[in-house]
Amino acid sequence: MSNNANDAESRRSAAAIAHVDGRLKAVQITKQGEAFEVLWAKSSKAPDADWAGFASECGLSIALTEQAKTDGDKTLPWRVAGFGSAGVAFYHLDLPAAKEQELAAMVRLQAETLLPLPVEQMELTWRTRPTQAGKAAVTIAAARREYLQKFVENVRGLEPAEILLDCEAIVKVWKELFVSDEKDAVIVSLAARNTQVCLAEDGRLSNAVVLDTGMEDFLKTANDLSDLSDESDFTYKAELEQTETTERFVQDIKSALESFNRIGGPIFVLSDGSSAIEGIVSCLKSAGLNAQAALPQIGKIKVQKGFGAVALYEYRVPIGLALMALKMPVEGLNLFENLYKPVGKEQKIPAWYSLKIAGAIAVAMLALFVIVSYAVDIISPNAIQKRLTTSDASTDIDLLMQRQKLIKTIALERPDLLDLLSIVNESGSIGIKLDSFHFKKGQLVSISGEAQNSDQLYKFQEALQGKTGVKGAEIQSSSLDSKSRKFKFTITFHYKNFTQKSTRT
Amino acid sequence: MIQKLSEKDIRALKIGGVCIAAILVLVLVSRWFDQWSKAKDTLTQVKAQLELIDVDKAKQAGLLSIVPVFEMPQKEETQKFLFRNKLNEQLKKAGINSKPLQVLPGGKSQQAGYRLLRLKCNAKCRFAQMLDLLAGLNENPYLVGIEEFKVRCDPKNPQEVELDLTVSTFVR
Repeated sequence: MSNNANDAESRRSAAAIAHVDGRLKAVQITKQGEAFEVLWAKSSKAPDADWAGFASECGLSIALTEQAKTDGDKTLPWRVAGFGSAGVAFYHLDLPAAKEQELAAMVRLQAETLLPLPVEQMELTWRTRPTQAGKAAVTIAAARREYLQKFVENVRGLEPAEILLDCEAIVKVWKELFVSDEKDAVIVSLAARNTQVCLAEDGRLSNAVVLDTGMEDFLKTANDLSDLSDESDFTYKAELEQTETTERFVQDIKSALESFNRIGGPIFVLSDGSSAIEGIVSCLKSAGLNAQAALPQIGKIKVQKGFGAVALYEYRVPIGLALMALKMPVEGLNLFENLYKPVGKEQKIPAWYSLKIAGAIAVAMLALFVIVSYAVDIISPNAIQKRLTTSDASTDIDLLMQRQKLIKTIALERPDLLDLLSIVNESGSIGIKLDSFHFKKGQLVSISGEAQNSDQLYKFQEALQGKTGVKGAEIQSSSLDSKSRKFKFTITFHYKNFTQKSTRT
Repeated sequence: MIQKLSEKDIRALKIGGVCIAAILVLVLVSRWFDQWSKAKDTLTQVKAQLELIDVDKAKQAGLLSIVPVFEMPQKEETQKFLFRNKLNEQLKKAGINSKPLQVLPGGKSQQAGYRLLRLKCNAKCRFAQMLDLLAGLNENPYLVGIEEFKVRCDPKNPQEVELDLTVSTFVR
């Protein structure tokens, strides 16, 4: 996600804002050596607070950041926004290990068949995880473009450097603060009105679903139960396990596990230690699931006084986002790559975009073009002459030209008399007997002979006329010989251009 | 000396220097362009000459089928004998016993620098012999064209024909 190594050296602090439980929650975390410290955490008062306004409230002024950029001050926090992944769908593919470009093409192709909408209406991003047997496991995240664009419009005023998925933040925060040795697990994060179920593989998000059931549903059920019963906590948990809400929740979790293909795997329910979450974990256990509560380890991160495990739990999403942002490069699935370009991440304008440099290059190219053209024009005639002389020492270009010209002239002067005789022969049928044949340049070809009857003569004339190269075949004379009773005739015709008067040499 | 010059003088000297440089550049560039345009003209001429020589293969093959052999024309005294001897040789080869070949007065040709010289042949021969002669005529390197060709059959002996053939060559 980051653009250069320079950022890697200097990024020491990150601030993250995410929409959690109807409010915006923000934290700023710094990194000192290997230790993280939560500098501050803040939650918006109004339920539908404006992102930019809330950022200003938190002291994340855009003007300050802009000033920091111009001053080269990199101590200001790297600002990230969290995107609620309720509308994000995850897909998995096992593809043959290939180069990234080839994989991208394969993913694109496969995604077209998987996506619920035409690919033009969707944005997708993907990453691979090497597996055994030369395969690559591909995780694809996809969301409706329109939905993402709306979010970008909402957070544009904040000018975040990154927009990250909140489910990735949950996996990150679980790995860093809700310590576990497991790398592959299902993490359940209960919010007020929904529950995020994330699958972590190799310590990274692999899949996620959002369930409709949230803490408010459980608390409502718990209140109802507490109104009815004064029994011990044990009895309360037992009763909670039998409510419709918990049954539905357990069923949803099971469905999610099925879709993840993780039935029987460890489930970590992120917890602040409250009895409500303990009760939910107990429900899951009772349903035969390998669930356990994961509490934030306060020793893993420095916090201000009064910022305890409950606060860490409350701010888990922005903390996860900030922790992601501190790591270089940020390894999140970036669904916004084509939709949002942070101000600080504008592509470096190549030097030749400068008018002066471009102009200088153009002038240099023009000068080079002129010099090369000149050199070619100067060298070419001599080179041609030299080449001709080298190939044949006796070559005289004038003589060659003259010879070629004469050959062309002669070719035009030579009638193919064999062809002409053949034409005449082919045209006459049996019964036509030729006495003489006369060809002279610039005059009509004349043939004379005798035919059995006038029909033969006419056919002969027509046949001659139809031959290629013959034009204007005319019977000049015909008479019936009283002795032989045959027709004596003379036919003239033009043959190609040899008989035209203008063709005399 | 330079220290004594005022800023105005220095500016005037600078402008003068720039003007001189510009004039020199203009002169050099104009000469260069003249030289270039001459070179371009030469190149155009050479290319035009090359085009005349460089006939494409198909055309060259067509020309070769009509003019398989060719010798550059000589002066009349030389060319006349060369042409006559070759034609005589071809007549003999075809088995035609011709009357003495007649040299006809030369005529103008459309080819600048050359005139036409004609040879007339009169013979009695068989039809097949005449065809042999016609088939081999193109092998005469001095032959330009067939000017006249007249055949008359002998009514008594249809296989025998009386042949009048006039052929031409170029002479310088």
